[in-house]
Amino acid sequence: MISSPISAKNLCVLRGDNQVLDNVSFTIDAGDIFALLGGNGAGKSTTLLTFLGLISPSSGQALINGVEVGADIQGARAQISYLPESANLYPHLSAYENLEYFLSLAHISRSPEEISLSLDEVKLAPEARKKPLSSYSKGMRQKVSISLAILRRSPLLLLDEPTSGLDPLAIDEFNIILKTLSNLGTTIFMVTHDVYGACEVAKRVGLLRQGKMTSMFQAREDQKISVDEVHQAFRQSQAS
Amino acid sequence: MRLGDIYFIAKDEWRYWFRSRLSLSAIIAASLLLVASLINTTHQVQTESATREGFQQEAVKTFESQPARHPHRMIHYGHYIFRTPTPLSVIDLGVDASAGTVMFLEGHRQNSTVFPPNYSNAYAGQLADLSPAFAYQMLVPLLLIILGYASISRERELGTEIVLYSIAVTPMRLWLGKTLALGASAVITLTPLVVGLSFAVSEGEPVWTAAYMFLGYATYLLTWVFIITATSAVCQRSASAFTTLLGIWIVLCVISAPLASSIAETGKSYEGKVASDIAVQQALRGTGDGHNEADIAFNQLRAELLRQYEVKSVESLPFNIRGIISLNAEETQTKILNRFSDQRMEQAKAQTQVIYWLGLLSPTLALKNFSVNIAGTSLSEYQRFQRQAERVRFDFVQKLNTMHAEQLTYDDDIKRSIDPLSEQRTRIDSHHWKILYATSHHENFEVARISESFPHFLALIFWCFFAAIMAANVAKKGDKNVA
Ligand SMILES: Nc1ncnc2c1ncn2[C@@H]1O[C@H](COP(=O)(O)OP(=O)(O)OP(=O)(O)O)[C@@H](O)[C@H]1O
Ligand SMILES: [Mg+2]
Repeated sequence: MISSPISAKNLCVLRGDNQVLDNVSFTIDAGDIFALLGGNGAGKSTTLLTFLGLISPSSGQALINGVEVGADIQGARAQISYLPESANLYPHLSAYENLEYFLSLAHISRSPEEISLSLDEVKLAPEARKKPLSSYSKGMRQKVSISLAILRRSPLLLLDEPTSGLDPLAIDEFNIILKTLSNLGTTIFMVTHDVYGACEVAKRVGLLRQGKMTSMFQAREDQKISVDEVHQAFRQSQAS
Repeated sequence: MRLGDIYFIAKDEWRYWFRSRLSLSAIIAASLLLVASLINTTHQVQTESATREGFQQEAVKTFESQPARHPHRMIHYGHYIFRTPTPLSVIDLGVDASAGTVMFLEGHRQNSTVFPPNYSNAYAGQLADLSPAFAYQMLVPLLLIILGYASISRERELGTEIVLYSIAVTPMRLWLGKTLALGASAVITLTPLVVGLSFAVSEGEPVWTAAYMFLGYATYLLTWVFIITATSAVCQRSASAFTTLLGIWIVLCVISAPLASSIAETGKSYEGKVASDIAVQQALRGTGDGHNEADIAFNQLRAELLRQYEVKSVESLPFNIRGIISLNAEETQTKILNRFSDQRMEQAKAQTQVIYWLGLLSPTLALKNFSVNIAGTSLSEYQRFQRQAERVRFDFVQKLNTMHAEQLTYDDDIKRSIDPLSEQRTRIDSHHWKILYATSHHENFEVARISESFPHFLALIFWCFFAAIMAANVAKKGDKNVA
């Protein structure tokens, strides 16, 4: 039996005294896009960090390819491309230098052309690429971050609010990129506040509220998930 | 093993330093200071040597150009002995800066070292502090702190630490990379030391003692590298890492040395100078005045000599009894004086011994102790000079006393103040002065220096290992406290 690339089984996480994740279970199939929605502080980022082995579950399991993350942290990380919540890059380095540095540490060799191409894809202005990131806007930094996640070509992509700070055009471009990657077989786990974007690209959408998975939506063969339905469920979950 | 990662991380850290104004100016300022300190001490040691040499030549000339004289007058005329600085004193002036380098040797007295008369003491007082030893003990750790305090905490604040871990860089490798970067800069700061040591070697210092000194300083700086990267790995904020490190620096580099000295002083107190002088005078009383052959203290000696040579009066002895009495008196006095000076030296040493043990509490103290001992500018080395000078003095005086006994007749000797011819005959020829003058402290005590510095070297190694193990232990848990 082939185990799914990412799955959570009754996952519980404590941060300090807070029960941040409470019995969360879900599965993401290979090549699927899963979007996790939820209010601020619902535990979305925590879920991603748990899959990176940066936070240990208090009970339950976070599994990568059927293996518990804690059992082989480095093995899990080697499979994953992670895009953090805020573009965490070096302000003293240019876009090129940031990418080169992280790629070399990830033991991935990409030619300067490939790097340029990926920066083209995320629509980062060419004249900015050689300037230090300290002179970038939030969205520009986010584009570099996305570019790094894509360049690694990892089988698994964990994205924490990838479109935050992006202009509408860039968001559209990004969604196209995600769909392409998914079609190529990349499994994508995305945390987002963008309901429209989520319904546009995701095969499944989960709703997290105070650490509990309250509802799950599934796209059908011929039909995307309904934005209205998700919106309504979200509003209801917040109200109750 | 992905050793390449460590190198990439180190290289990036270097790139960061070169792009950050603070780091770059710290590097430049520290390099200038190190070079300045080396020029300063080299200049100081060379000027001193030149002054000393000039003074010494003059003293030798004056002594040797003395006309034929009565040997006892030459005993009182005395001569100077000079302490040649060890080549390694260009690195660490130690007690040389304050202990004096020339000693006047004469009969019946043990003098202490002084500075040559035309030696500019003000210069030593003001600038002696800026020696390479001082720069490496105090200032280079500060430079390393400025460079490294944020090495890991900065990544934590930027959030890049999480990204690094997410691409399977281990916390251990991150720490090793940062440590390599800081360690490499520590090694680079050692360049002026290597220049100074090479200079010392060219002046006659054996290569292996120079290499050993280098190793001690390198170990010390490496200890700091570990302390700094570990602190940076533990602290959530760079600001708190900086404050913590500054606190450690103040305790280890600023407070520990004076604290250790004051502990040593309260622990073992010196006998007061006046009290000890009185004790010496009391002990010397009754030993007899060597200038006065009639002193009752020599009655027994006189009787023994008369019996041994089967003669009735001192005039009939085959030698000049005045010389024999001088020889005898000098020997008795010297024994007493040596007993007291040994006592004083032991007391002084006991004080430094306390500081040596306290060296285990601070790597800076350990390095200070190590450095002066290997450089040959320690109290022990100074005491070796004192003992050696005393041997030279005793030898010089007794040679003259022997001449007094063997080459002068008793008859001439007692009549010399009334009979000009006798007076002429009691002068010995001036060619003797050439043989008598022993000029300087030339003996090299490498073996003693190595063995005296070795315990401190062990303390340094202990500190380095201790810091490394602590650092590795806190660093490897780095990914448990980022999120
Ligand atoms: N370092 C931390 N220590 C303790 N508790 C934390 C820490 N970080 C987050 N939390 C708590 O964990 C809970 C979930 O936080 P998390 O960051 O996962 O939320 P989120 O769903 O990503 O929110 P947002 O949409 O604002 O990003 C919150 O209640 C938060 O207070
Ligand atoms: Mg979040």
